[in-house]
Parts: sequence; structure tokens; C-alpha cells
Amino acid sequence: MKNLYENTFQSVEDIKQEFETHSYICNTQIATCVYIAYNLQKPVMVEGPAGVGKTELAKTTADILGVPLVRLQCYEGLDESKALYEWKYGKQMLYTQLLKDKLSEILDGAVSLRQSMTKLQGYEDLFFSEDFLEARPLYRALQEEHGCVLLIDEIDKSDHEFEAFLLEILSEFQVSIPELGTLGAKIKPLVFLTSNDTREMSDALKRRCLHLHIGFPDEKLERKILNTRVPNLSETLRKEVVSFVQQVRNLDIKKVPSISETIDWAKTLLLLHAEHLERETVIETLNVFLKFEEDIDAVNEQVTTFIRKAKPYTE
Amino acid sequence: MQQTLEDFYKVVRSAGIDISIADSIETSKTVELVGYSNRDTLKHALSLSLAKTVDEKQILDECFEQFYSFKSFQKNKGIGDKTAGDGGDGDQSDDQKSAADQKDPEYTGEIELAKMLIEQDKAALAQSMKKAARESGMTDIWLFTQKGIYTRRIMDKMGAQELNKEIVALGKGDGPTDSALAGKLRWAQKYLFNEVRNFVEQQLLMFGKTTSQTIHEEFLKNTCLSNIEKRDFETMNKIVRKMAKRLSSLYSKKRKRKDRGQLDFRKTLRNNVAYDGVIFNIFWKMKVVDKPRILALCDVSGSVSSYSRFLLLFLYSLSDVLDRIDTCVFTNTLIDVNDIFDKFPVQQAVEKIVYEFGMSGSDYGNTFLDLKDKYMDKIDNKTTVIILGDARNNRLDPQTKVMKLLYQRAKRVIWLNPETKSFWGIGDSEMLRYKPYCNVVKECNTVTHLKLMVDTILKISAQAA
Repeated sequence: MKNLYENTFQSVEDIKQEFETHSYICNTQIATCVYIAYNLQKPVMVEGPAGVGKTELAKTTADILGVPLVRLQCYEGLDESKALYEWKYGKQMLYTQLLKDKLSEILDGAVSLRQSMTKLQGYEDLFFSEDFLEARPLYRALQEEHGCVLLIDEIDKSDHEFEAFLLEILSEFQVSIPELGTLGAKIKPLVFLTSNDTREMSDALKRRCLHLHIGFPDEKLERKILNTRVPNLSETLRKEVVSFVQQVRNLDIKKVPSISETIDWAKTLLLLHAEHLERETVIETLNVFLKFEEDIDAVNEQVTTFIRKAKPYTE
Repeated sequence: MQQTLEDFYKVVRSAGIDISIADSIETSKTVELVGYSNRDTLKHALSLSLAKTVDEKQILDECFEQFYSFKSFQKNKGIGDKTAGDGGDGDQSDDQKSAADQKDPEYTGEIELAKMLIEQDKAALAQSMKKAARESGMTDIWLFTQKGIYTRRIMDKMGAQELNKEIVALGKGDGPTDSALAGKLRWAQKYLFNEVRNFVEQQLLMFGKTTSQTIHEEFLKNTCLSNIEKRDFETMNKIVRKMAKRLSSLYSKKRKRKDRGQLDFRKTLRNNVAYDGVIFNIFWKMKVVDKPRILALCDVSGSVSSYSRFLLLFLYSLSDVLDRIDTCVFTNTLIDVNDIFDKFPVQQAVEKIVYEFGMSGSDYGNTFLDLKDKYMDKIDNKTTVIILGDARNNRLDPQTKVMKLLYQRAKRVIWLNPETKSFWGIGDSEMLRYKPYCNVVKECNTVTHLKLMVDTILKISAQAA
């Protein structure tokens, strides 16, 4: 297996094409970001609305580089023991039991307490060793033989404490475990942090990362994405779908449909054997890409206008 | 190229984005990696490593466009064109006219600048100007009054003095084309001056924008609130919000009291029954962190209303950290204005309140009686009461008894008086009689005072938690 940094991305264009062959259509900005992150081994903080392909970016990068993806999903209350490591308490207790049985053998001949202690100290400290260490995502990422892509998903959901804890990992790629000392990464992982902007991240964290903002794609790019993701969709319908969704995005609604929802809708329409956007079909399938009752009502009123606007475009 | 990059950082900094030294080092590495060959890639790379929010990205894009475009010597107006100079000053002497009519004279002298001007070598001129600008420390410009001196410095570095001498010499010369050449050069000299001055103006816009803004803002922060002019309200609002945001981010972090303090023995035992009483999970006694509750009483009578405006604005901008602010305004009775704050955006609400309820004489005594009737049961040992007023009671009954009661019930009573300390108690001011019943009495007439006050309230509540 190849090492993470043995593949070389020659140029930004190179990356763009690689991503395209892996069905991820990206703009120059994203490609530039991956290029810099890869070559300077810097973490990337990806921000943007839900469903624009933030997580997908990390997955695709791992695919292209041929290394595993280690994912850490953040939530409120996430702490070291779930993110980094924990001791296997059960196994440690079993070990104690075993030790208890074997104790007389080990202490063979020792009379005084001092003698027993000296004898015991002759044995290596197995109790707090890597055998009893339950590796969690961050630890695993540092220990990967050939490097990996580390995805720290929805970092904005985690607490301030966890954010501070990440700082050491992101700048030095090492962690301190009190019982074992400081552990460095075998190969520095390529780190992606995603955030939905529900809270502002600290300056210290931002400073250590490249900051990438992925917004909704323009019409041309979205058609291209749809083309790779739902290749069976006819070209006319593709244009209509994209134009329709783009119009919906201009409305003042609670949850604006993102790319993943456009793809879902396109797949639904394909399943229903639709050839063009028809009023009936659209109304019936609105709930595929709109997630709130109010939003559906708001779009419902405009369906005819939107279809009309989407159609002349294709004719 | 490193110099150019550093100049760019200066531009970005002056546009309000903070770039630390570490940032600039990292960015330089990034730029080294992507190179300068592709404009788009360079722009993206800078944006990726310098801008940390979407807004900053936008600012940075604008800076980039401004910085990496060069407009000087680009106009169609050529050097030989008569309209190129200042035009309007009616300085077109006869020799210039004749110079233009004749065939272009050739310059054979030694002066570099003159050569460039006669040959209309715009690229070389631009380059020479940039070089001169760098040598004269152009990027340090920060005030509009420096325009003249920088223009002069750049011109001199480009060789304007030698050019001048050459023109004089040519004017006196007796060669067939000398006078025509002198006329043409004089004309070109004006053109050059105009271009350099425009260039300096552009640079001032890029590099000096925020410096003058910062000076103005600093000045406003320490100006007495009643002296702030209406045209500065907008800026003041911005300053107040900025300060509030800083305080809010400082205090809004939930300080976890987990895993420290006193052991909660009962909870620990109960939860570890499952492990045969072996204590695996330990629980600690936790304190509930209370956000401070604030009751703000603002005098909006004539002279004090301009202070209340900013206090209200400030407190409401802090709503992230403060659980609930009850705001009442008064002149002679208390008026609850929470509704107005709920309905309208903060700024609008403040304007509305000051406009609707302000301007008449104040009666503190009656106001306190009102407070006793309507609010006393809402005030408890978690409430901080802030009173903003000059305590000028128009010689009416001050009702200090109510004040005493308030002092006993509330957690803290803070009185902010916009008047200078030496005026307290003079004339109809009852400040000294109210003072014993306040935890803190402070002179407060600038935004900086306001900030200090709120900082104190938050600090105390954070310590108490």
C-alpha cells in the first residue's frame, strides 16, 4: 500500500480532473485548497450550508489517495475518552485477576515487603500499555501505517473544551497520554474539519487551518454534478430540475434545498419515468427536497411559474 | 515578490482583517507553493489562508482586485496628447502648440525620465514609479495631508529635478528642435505629475483607510456621549456593538464546573451500585450557573437622554450573555419599554423610546414610588439594578426610603451618573443622598465607561457562579 504523501498532486488542474473521475465536481477554489493542504500538510476547515458536499470532499480525497478515511463525528459532550483513547477496564480487571493467581509464583521466595516490591518492579508495567488501550478515531488516525484522511465532522457541535484539545493535534500532530507519554503521528494525516456555522469557532483553531467555504453551486456546475451523479437523467430534464431548484433557492424559506437534495429529487423523477417537469409530478415530489410544511406551501404557490421559467430554458 | 506580498498584507490589515505574523508566514509558504503564474489560483490561495470567515473572504477578494490591478499610465490620453495635463489651467503656451503641430522631435539627451516620457514608454514609467514608491515608503501613508509630500518624493526619486533642469536647458538651447522638445517635455511633466498624484490617492485609499477610521473611533470612544454628533451615531452604534460582541464572546463561554469541587457522595454511591459498590463513576456537586438578570432604569429627560440611548443599545447588544434585561425609562413615572424592544430592532427601538418618552423634567421620587408598586416583587437577590441618571430631582421629595428597600432586596444597585463627580450634590442633585444605597456609583459619560461597567457586572456574576 502506498504512503499518503507518495501520490503527488502535480497541479490544481490535476486535482480537479482526479476529483471528476471520482464523480466529485469541484471548482478551482476547492481544488486549490486540497492542493495546498496536501502539499503543506495543513488541516482544512470546510464551512458551508448542509448538503453541499463538505463530508463528501473528505471521502473523495481519501478515495483518490487510496488511504483509509477515519471519521470522528462531533456532538455536545464529546470528550477525550470517546475521541482519543480509553483504557480497556474489563481487560485490565481480568489481568488483575490473572496476576492475583500468579502472584505467588512471581513473588516466589520473597519474604519481606521490600523484596516483593523489588521483584514486582522487575516486571514491565503492562497495566498501562498499548495492549490495554482502546483506540478511538483520533488515536487511530495518528497510528495509521500509511497515513489517512481524518474527517472531524461538524466540529461546531462540540464543546469549547474539545476544540481546545484539538489544537495540539492539529498543529503538532501529536497527543499526550499521561500514562504513556507523547505520541506523534506515524504519517501526518490529511485533516478535514467541517462546520455548519452554528457557532463561531475560536481564532486559535481557525488560525491553524485553511479556511474553505463551499456555497451552493451555480447552475452550470450543478448540472455537471447532476450529470455525474445521476447519469441516466435526460439532458432536458436535468436542465429543468436544476433551473427549478435554483429558483427555489432564491425564495425565503426555512431550509434551502442543497445539492444532495437536488440529486435525490432527480433520482426520484428518474424512478417515476418523468421526461419533463409536470405540475402534478412536481407537487407530489416536493417533499423530496423540501423538509418543512411551510416551505412546501411557499413553493407550491410558485410551481407553475417556476416550471414555465425552467422550460423555455430547455426549449 | 516577498515585498509585494507584505504590501498586500498591509492592505488587507488596513481593510480590517487581522493577520498575525504566524498567518503571514504560513501564507507566504502557501504562495510559494502555488506560485504567481495563475491569478485565480493565487487569489484562492490567499483567500484560503488569510480569510477566516465568509465576510472576510469578500473583503479579501476586493483587496486583491484593488491591489493587483494597476491603473496608472493606462489611460488613452497619451503623453503627447494635449489633454493629458491638467488642461483647465490655461497654461497652453504658444511653444506647446507649435510643438504639437510639428513632427515629433527626437530626444538625444541623457536623462532617463525624459527618454521614457518622449518615447511614451508606459511600462517603463509604471515600473519606475512603483520602484520610486517603494523607496519612498509609500505603504506607510495614512493621512490625506501626506498626499503632497509622497507625490513629491516619488517624483524626485523618478528624477523630476533632473528633468526640470533639462527642460530649462533645452528652453535656452538654440538647436532646431530644442524649444519644441522643451515644450513637449514640460507637457509630459504635467502628465507625469497627474499620474503620480492619482497613484498616491489610490494608495492612500488602500493603506490609509482604517488608520484614519481607527483614530476617529478612538476619539469617539472617549468623547462625552452628549457631545457626539448625529452624523457619528452610525459609527457609534458600530463601536458599541463591537465592544458588546467582545464582552459577550468573553463571557458567553459556558464554564463547566464538572469534575471539580466537592464530591457528590450520594449520587456516586447510587450510580455505582451496579459495580458492587466499587467506585467507577464519580460525580461532583455542580453549581447552576446563572446568567445575571438586569433591571435597567434609564432617565430619558432632556439632558440625560443622549446617554440612555447608548446604555440601552449596549445592554441589548449583550443579550447573548445576559439572560434577560428588563428596561424601564422614566422622567416622572416608570414606563416599561420591553415591548418596544421585542417588536423593533434594537437601534430603531432605542430611537423610538428616546423620541416618545424623553424630554420632560425628571422626578426621581415619584419614579421610585412607581418602582415600589410595580416592580419590587420582581426584584430578588439575583437581580442587578442599573440606574442611569443625573439624580437631579427638581427639588422634589427624593424618596430615599424606597431606594433603601431596593438596596436591601437587589443583588447589586449600580448608579451611573453622567455628570462629573464634582457636580454631585450641587444644586438640585440628590446624588449624595442616594449614594449610601448603591453598591457602586460611577461617573459614566463615554463608551469606555459603559464598557468597564458592564465588564464589572459580568465579572462579578462569573465569580459568583
